Amino acid sequence: MSTALYQHFPILAVMVLFLGAFLIVIFGNVKTLRHLIALLSVTVSLGLLIALVKPVMLEGEIIAYWMGARATAGGYAIGIAMEVDALSLFFGLLVATAVFVSCVYSIQYMSHDDNVGQYYTLFLMLAGGVMGLVLSGDLFNMFIMVEILTFAAVALTAFRNTAKGALEAAFKYLVVGCIGSTCILTGTVMLYAQAHTLNFAQLSALLPGNMNTATVVAFALLYIGFSTKAFIVPFHPLAADAHGAAPASISVLISGVLTKSGLYAIIRLSYFLFQTMELGTMQFLLVFMGSMSMFICVTMALAQHDFKRLLAFHSISQIGYVLTAVGLCTAMGVSSGLYHAMNHTLFKGLLFLAAGAVLHQTGTTDLDKLGGLSKKMPWTTAFFLVGAFSISGIPPFNGFASKWMVYQSIYLKAVESGNIGFLFATIIALVTSVLTLASFVKVSQSVFFGRLPKEYENVTEVPWGMRLAMCLFAVLCVVTGLFPDLVTRYLTQPAADAVFNASGYINAMMGSGYAESVMSVPAMAPAVTYVEVGVWQPVSWLLILVITLLAITIVAIGGQYDRVSESVSAPMDSKYDLFFGGEESVYSQVGGEDLFWGFKHNWRGYFSFMHKLHSGIVNDYSLWAVVALALVTLYMLIVF
Amino acid sequence: MILFNYVASFFLIVLGFYTIVTKYNLVKTVIGLSIADYGVNLLIISIGFNPGGTAPIFTPGEIDPSAFFVDPIPQALTLTSIVIGACVTAMSLALVMKIHEQYGTIDTREVRRLRG
Repeated sequence: MSTALYQHFPILAVMVLFLGAFLIVIFGNVKTLRHLIALLSVTVSLGLLIALVKPVMLEGEIIAYWMGARATAGGYAIGIAMEVDALSLFFGLLVATAVFVSCVYSIQYMSHDDNVGQYYTLFLMLAGGVMGLVLSGDLFNMFIMVEILTFAAVALTAFRNTAKGALEAAFKYLVVGCIGSTCILTGTVMLYAQAHTLNFAQLSALLPGNMNTATVVAFALLYIGFSTKAFIVPFHPLAADAHGAAPASISVLISGVLTKSGLYAIIRLSYFLFQTMELGTMQFLLVFMGSMSMFICVTMALAQHDFKRLLAFHSISQIGYVLTAVGLCTAMGVSSGLYHAMNHTLFKGLLFLAAGAVLHQTGTTDLDKLGGLSKKMPWTTAFFLVGAFSISGIPPFNGFASKWMVYQSIYLKAVESGNIGFLFATIIALVTSVLTLASFVKVSQSVFFGRLPKEYENVTEVPWGMRLAMCLFAVLCVVTGLFPDLVTRYLTQPAADAVFNASGYINAMMGSGYAESVMSVPAMAPAVTYVEVGVWQPVSWLLILVITLLAITIVAIGGQYDRVSESVSAPMDSKYDLFFGGEESVYSQVGGEDLFWGFKHNWRGYFSFMHKLHSGIVNDYSLWAVVALALVTLYMLIVF
Repeated sequence: MILFNYVASFFLIVLGFYTIVTKYNLVKTVIGLSIADYGVNLLIISIGFNPGGTAPIFTPGEIDPSAFFVDPIPQALTLTSIVIGACVTAMSLALVMKIHEQYGTIDTREVRRLRG
């Protein structure tokens, strides 16, 4: 094993975040110092991971790092290990980017709150927890990191504890999150009892092919435990509550980072630890849960009145896409799923930051009260539209590229396997995309366009620091949308290759030849061809978009646009009031609620059923968790 | 009897989940979380137990292949898990206190302003 300097980078990237958290406890009372420490730690962490791109992503090296130089003895891993392959690094980069942008945004966003020192401590603990989880090579360490990030996330959800429902959301999250954590710990120790190791690589070598009842139950426990961290159905109400109450900068982390850690763990479990993804039954489980998440959450989002709560449901809906694509067990499926995971972090982060900007300037996120903010906050509106176009999958933004690949991979899987179920999944994915667009039309209509309410006439644009953060995400959204071929070649394809390289992962940790000696080597997936993905030209779509925007601008400036509206509003002079009735309001605003009333009316049975189901009682949500655990355990016991 | 430990630990975990699902008092929910946690701790410590083994404390050179001791790793895991359990209890009780201040009740059926 070479001892290049970059071998130490993963542990440093985690440590620098925790170190920053502890330093802020000491020096956090000084404003500039705490901003400096927070920015410095997230920047260093991001820089260290970017430095790893060349050896890990491009040259395909897998870094195995033993703490305190304790490695293997007698064929058993006895030290605590970190292992970084392209998959870990991919998620690590997502985490570091989202944390960096959120930190930049926080500086001005949190300036009106008190106890900001504690906010940054928890912020960095959360970041460090997720970073530690994705870079860890040890199952128990993953559990510790899960606990750290759950605690930090719960505390941050309740940070503005005077906000509506913040405490309630935090408590629900804590209860169901702890059920998940208990499941993870139980699964971990059951695996330890069977294999006498906690090392991920060694477990991945020992477990496949040696499944018994105990390991199957452990798999179900771990799967459900990490599902609560990814908030997939039936754990989505927690995400909605937590997002609605948490500060926007934390919503970015919960949606962009926390859910990704759950997804990462599910990928590691099913592709590495148990290597069961080649079974159709396992693919069915992931695709089923993904499709359910997609559809249920997007319909729940349509019925929301709160900006951030709506975004939260969309967030889980998009996670459903990722889970479905990853569950296909094809190279293209995994690659497109990871691509969408990356885009989800970017556009969802952008949308939450825009929602936070609206909250920061107006003091509310209620869709029924807002309106017409585009005149007062043009920058925020522009950034929001970039995010909305991306999530709705409009070319040339990044959501289109990844969603297209997801549809394509599900459809190809349906054709290859001849399984009608995958066709349904394709249809659900398409319908979900349409409904996503519909609900973002509603949001932009009721927040940024339409009539400006009287009380918001003095609203101003957000400070530059918050605009800078939104700008970073917006630029990344456009760039990753314009160059899908580069993104797949340098980011998602190495990560997808790593997913199918379990034996390489094991050998890097345990010494070469270990995987072959202990286990029958899993079949390598065929190299994926991206020919069909590259047929569309994102740059030409960008040109069309620019030309359209220019045309609209010219028409608007040329006055054609204004003259029409002037002639309508001209006779509204107070001297004519006499001739009209008592009603003052001539202009009637179409509220966000009324925009899709026809659709919602036709589906009223479904919507009222779902509304009743999401009762807000913590017992119900716990019951869902326990029932999901029981069903998944039963399913796995039957199929294995 | 080690089998009894396993049965008891899973009984405790299930009892904890049952408490969380069926009790409408927030403090009882917290108690349920703790019971489930104790169940897991009992499970971990039982896994590492070797009947007749000594405590796993050795100085370098003292250890030889004939030494028979309990597995030290689960004990370390249990300690960590106990600490985390204490944190969960402390934090959730703090939240319950604040909820009582704001809502004036600790009945879960009334703490449901966020729904739908």
